[in-house]
Amino acid sequence: GLGGQGVGEDSFRVWERTFCRGSRPRSPRVRMRFMLLFSRQGKLRLQKWYLATSDKERKKMVRELMQVVLARKPKMCSFLEWRDLKVVYKRYASLYFCCAIEGQDNELITLELIHRYVELLDKYFGSVCELDIIFNFEKAYFILDEFLMGGDVQDTSKKSVLKAIEQADLLQEVRARDDEEEEQEE
Amino acid sequence: EEEKLIQQELSSLKATVSAPTTTLKTMKECMVRLIYCEMLGYDASFGYIHAIKLAQQGNLLEKRVGYLAVSLFLHESHELLLLLVNTVVKDLQSTNLVEVCMALTIVSQIFPREMIPAVLPLIEDKLQHSKEIIRRKAVLALYKFHLIAPNQVQHIHVKFRKALCDRDVGVMAASLHIYLRMIKENSSGYKDLTGSFVTILKQVVGGKLPVDFNYHNVPAPWLQIQLLRILGLLGKDDQRTSELMYDVLDESLRRAELSHNVTYAILFECVHTIYSVYPKSELLEKAAKCIGKFVLSPKINLKYLGLKALTYVVQRDPTLALQHQMTIIECLDHPDPIIKREVNW
Repeated sequence: GLGGQGVGEDSFRVWERTFCRGSRPRSPRVRMRFMLLFSRQGKLRLQKWYLATSDKERKKMVRELMQVVLARKPKMCSFLEWRDLKVVYKRYASLYFCCAIEGQDNELITLELIHRYVELLDKYFGSVCELDIIFNFEKAYFILDEFLMGGDVQDTSKKSVLKAIEQADLLQEVRARDDEEEEQEE
Repeated sequence: EEEKLIQQELSSLKATVSAPTTTLKTMKECMVRLIYCEMLGYDASFGYIHAIKLAQQGNLLEKRVGYLAVSLFLHESHELLLLLVNTVVKDLQSTNLVEVCMALTIVSQIFPREMIPAVLPLIEDKLQHSKEIIRRKAVLALYKFHLIAPNQVQHIHVKFRKALCDRDVGVMAASLHIYLRMIKENSSGYKDLTGSFVTILKQVVGGKLPVDFNYHNVPAPWLQIQLLRILGLLGKDDQRTSELMYDVLDESLRRAELSHNVTYAILFECVHTIYSVYPKSELLEKAAKCIGKFVLSPKINLKYLGLKALTYVVQRDPTLALQHQMTIIECLDHPDPIIKREVNW
């Protein structure tokens, strides 16, 4: 994989590799293999796999990739090649968001996908921080599944994603209040 | 010591989930912790069956956690997955729309192939639901079926067309996932839809969608990209079909104001499409200028994308690309030795 030093090296290496070794046609299905969220200390906060992978293999891949990404310097490209995948990553405060995609995809739109996810989390939690993800990670999964179904981005209004999550939350609240009231009456 | 702590936690959880007196509320809490333990890499397979039970018996929030656990714990060919089918069937017929949504969501993520017939009619039915979120999720469930067992959804292609024409943008966008795949497999079968895709893209690019679909002032970028990919496939080696799309491709190039990253992402896709379909010189010229802007950009991510586009252009048709290549190279301040070599053919 690319572990290049300089700012321009990554891109030129890709150019060289792609051009010199002949064209790589776009694969029939460009898909997301997985998404990871992890802290700067290498603690995993969320993982969603879109291709069935054994636990052993997952652990291995996650450990390896975290090392590679954590070793990257700030000014480097947000895209890197790792194993047979393209990895797109971005750090937001103390959390790294990492997507691994197969095939020849548009890495920049994947970067935007990450950003979109962060915006949704931010809107839901109200200025999200790592702690929110740690203590409410199941909510983070709900939101992820709502806008990234099976690894494909659902271009919907931001409203509809959050509405879907909040609906369930709200109904639960109403029900809990009803239960409480019932108990009080008894 | 993490190992020790987690193993202790897991033993305690194992005891709790197996106890007959454990409430569903407690089960839900346990399930969340089990998900967490598995995420850290520890085995919690004793909890899998309880995840299914939770989805089956729980109220809304408990059910949601149960379904989530199933989607994270199991894989498509897991034996336990069959036990989920009855719950899915039940929830699909629920009067509570949130439950219907949950069922559709889980189907879109993980479902045993051999049980598709058990749910297919119910899901087809949802395509006509009054709520757009249900229609959209039904389309996505069918997309999943198309991925894992295409012959089982062969007979309902007509319904995909209906989804493509849905009055709700989200539903229409969801149908594009299916179309992109089908067109990749057999583009000639869908040439007649080119006009429709062009019209939709025109509307999107022209800002005719509800403002809510904007992402940083850019109208539905993922939708634009899907459409550009579809058009790229339809116009390949086909002059007549390509001619239907030159206008909208030109407009896409023009409209994209180079402000936000996502615009660049769309432009990249646009350039790719222009170079995939039957060549039109003015468009190629504009696309080449566009690549030039990318490669010139001080932002490394954009440079990367520019070089990638450049590579595609050069490989696509070296003779065609040569003239445009000069435009690009003229833009470069410090020509890379590789590019210099390229020029000296």
